[in-house]
Amino acid sequence: MRTCLIVDDSRVVRKVASRIVRDLGFSVTEAGDGAEALKMCRESMPDAILLDWNMPTMNGIDFLRALRREEGGKVPRIVFCSIENDPEHINEALRSGADEFIMKPFDADILESKFAEVGLI
Amino acid sequence: MQETVFNVLADLALKATGQAIPPSRAYLMEARLAPLARREGFGTLSDLVHCLESRQNPVFRNEVASALLTHDTWFFRERSVFDTVINTILPERLDATQSGRLRVWCAGGSSGQEAYSLAMLLEDEPGASLRSAKIEILSTDYCKYSTEKARLGVYNHYEAQRGLSIFRLMKHFTRMDSGDWQANETIRSRVSFRQHNLMETASGLGKFDLIFCRHVLSGMSKAARMRVAEVLVAQMAPGAVIILGEGETFQGLTESLEPARDIRQGWVAAGTANRAAA
Repeated sequence: MRTCLIVDDSRVVRKVASRIVRDLGFSVTEAGDGAEALKMCRESMPDAILLDWNMPTMNGIDFLRALRREEGGKVPRIVFCSIENDPEHINEALRSGADEFIMKPFDADILESKFAEVGLI
Repeated sequence: MQETVFNVLADLALKATGQAIPPSRAYLMEARLAPLARREGFGTLSDLVHCLESRQNPVFRNEVASALLTHDTWFFRERSVFDTVINTILPERLDATQSGRLRVWCAGGSSGQEAYSLAMLLEDEPGASLRSAKIEILSTDYCKYSTEKARLGVYNHYEAQRGLSIFRLMKHFTRMDSGDWQANETIRSRVSFRQHNLMETASGLGKFDLIFCRHVLSGMSKAARMRVAEVLVAQMAPGAVIILGEGETFQGLTESLEPARDIRQGWVAAGTANRAAA
């Protein structure tokens, strides 16, 4: 079964996203910030990461840059997922190594469509 | 919903757009008409129907019949179809016609996502032969509002993310202050939009080399599907291909078409499927 790590400081968002991603056939793990996510990735690299931008301790962009430098860190398909949805922010995420970008709020159709876009389903 | 109210609305849907709405879907009717009823200040659907019958207003009839239609569509719906169109159908048609021009019709194209998807592909990844070709894309729909929306090329937050990669969104659309996204001139200049009812002749639109008619026939009565088949067939240029949605068929509707070889959901003039492949 493919794995997806959901990184968001909001428990509600993690819960909603988890349910959708599970329905797409993934086994899901969760992290509340970038530092925790990085630690989890070092233990086991997921196939997909759904990544929030603004988080305490380590934000999404810093996590993304750090992960892409890690051994095996280029493997996960990373879908950024943020309320920061102006072209500047989107471009910054893509330049930093994101494969896709979801503008919050999102629904199951969008998440499924974006996962398909990067070949996860 | 009162039976008389349902009957008037079902009759309107059938006559105007060929939709066959069974009584079991009366709830859907209520949901679809609620925004229109609210906007026009009708307390109940019965008031709306009363107005519909007393004021024989064609604009209002179009609005009500449009609201009863399915408008659901998204960018690159059934993606493999678009790959076939770009890699196979259009190059073959171009080769066969020798005119350097092709015409594509999105029949029942709703708010334009299908037409814009094709326009984006022609911008992004045309094969050598398509690059220099002049390819005209016309999208038509019964609904006045959808046609206007398509022409503006403005999509909300959800629509802009459905089926569209972030790279294509950034390349082909511009974010407006409202948070909506508008198609850029480069793809808007490739498509045009017109209001047209598929139950009526389309001779004014001219002939087409490729016709999309996807997820349009599904909700229609058999008589309406037969009528639409006839209308589409009349607008086929020699060698033209019609593409239906997943799970749709012309079988039993017309003798003029047969399934195309090697094109999923594709239909061609009867008796030509094997010749075209030879």
